[in-house]
Amino acid sequence: MNISLDVSWKSLNKHGEELCGDTVGILKNDVSDIFVLSDGMGSGVKANILSTLTTKIVGTMLRDGANISDCVETIAKTLPVCSVRHVAYSTFTILQIFKDGRAYLVEYDNPGCVLVRSGKLEQIPYEVHEIEGKKIRDCSLNVALGDYFVLMSDGVTHAGVGNMMSFGWGQARASEYIRKACSMNNLSAPRLTSMICKACSDLYLDSPGDDTTVAVIHAVKAKHVNIFTGPPQSYDDDAVLMRDFMTSPGKKIVSGGTSANIAARILKKKIVASIKYNDPEIPPIATLEGVDLVTEGVLTLNRCANMLEQYNKGDLSDRFFDSLDADNGAAMIAKILVEECTDLHMFVGQAMNAAHQNVGLPFDLSIRMRLVDKIRQECEKMGKTVTVRYY
Amino acid sequence: MLVTICIGSSCHLKGSRDVISILERLISLHGISDKVELTGSFCMGECAKGVCVKVDDELYSVSPATAETFFNEQILGRI
Repeated sequence: MNISLDVSWKSLNKHGEELCGDTVGILKNDVSDIFVLSDGMGSGVKANILSTLTTKIVGTMLRDGANISDCVETIAKTLPVCSVRHVAYSTFTILQIFKDGRAYLVEYDNPGCVLVRSGKLEQIPYEVHEIEGKKIRDCSLNVALGDYFVLMSDGVTHAGVGNMMSFGWGQARASEYIRKACSMNNLSAPRLTSMICKACSDLYLDSPGDDTTVAVIHAVKAKHVNIFTGPPQSYDDDAVLMRDFMTSPGKKIVSGGTSANIAARILKKKIVASIKYNDPEIPPIATLEGVDLVTEGVLTLNRCANMLEQYNKGDLSDRFFDSLDADNGAAMIAKILVEECTDLHMFVGQAMNAAHQNVGLPFDLSIRMRLVDKIRQECEKMGKTVTVRYY
Repeated sequence: MLVTICIGSSCHLKGSRDVISILERLISLHGISDKVELTGSFCMGECAKGVCVKVDDELYSVSPATAETFFNEQILGRI
């Protein structure tokens, strides 16, 4: 089965804390993607250290082939013991999804993973084991296309405790909220993450009583996106780049005026550029038969890269999604990358653009390479697979 | 008459957007929108002369400050 993953996560810090005591880690090896969500005891720096260590140790060991008993044993022997409470403690949820469609879920003291399949809450048949005196539960299951796995820390199930709800939101109500949300058509992982966090934040009256973390893993068909930006160094490579670009499966985006002219010349089609400025800073888009989206180059990519960075910094607010839904080239690319992409392929020409060597412009146009790097890094942070080819 | 305005990066930074809005305003002011078609284009390869504006196939260098003069001479003057 060919499954790709649409992934997103977000933490709300406990009120007044600079650091989050919950940590999410994503690791990949040749056969699987591993997601770890850990919640360290207490809050602030101590909790942050505990959960970071737990995430890194468990994730790295599983990735390199260790079994879960080894991981738990290592954590038990490694975590620093708290001088106040005399225990070393950090919860975790691990979800390992294999390329062949199997999944392995392990939980220790976190709220249970919520699995929504075809609009229904799926009961997970756990087995309970005792390792190093800790009750660990795990389960092997098969992933179906469209599945939503939601991992969370107890800040979610406790949301609103003693305030909006005497005993907090609770696993049952939180699960039901998630199930209902998942009935929306084509709900992406980032939007679901944002909705759940918003609900928690509301229940806490915008002042979370505990670190609150949500991670959504949505099983989807692979969504490939191809971006061609920048003219190749050698004229002869125009056709080579275009052949590679056009034969690569998935959405096609051309970003850059000169690049678009090359694409039009080789495809023997005409570019129709709009003169409609929906955003004063971003030049209008254009249309070209055979290509899904044509935009201006560096100004557009610069804004796009900044939006991706903003997203990765945890801004999943309504205002951010509104800017993602805006009608301009940069938002269109960012939206595709955040919500409709599992694999990004960039085809980058490295020619110096003579047009951009023009001094006196209020923006340094020769920064394409840096923008390509930034977009690659930001997309990798989101858990996407990125390839870049230079010409 | 076809008037094509470059909206490439370089011309954009030199004020394509303002040139477009000035021309749009003047065209509707003079009620000649049935005679003049405004359209956009990516880089025309003459960035040093930006903002590049083509009237049919002739290339002109226009800036927001000269847009009105350009309109009077090259667009209104030819109708």
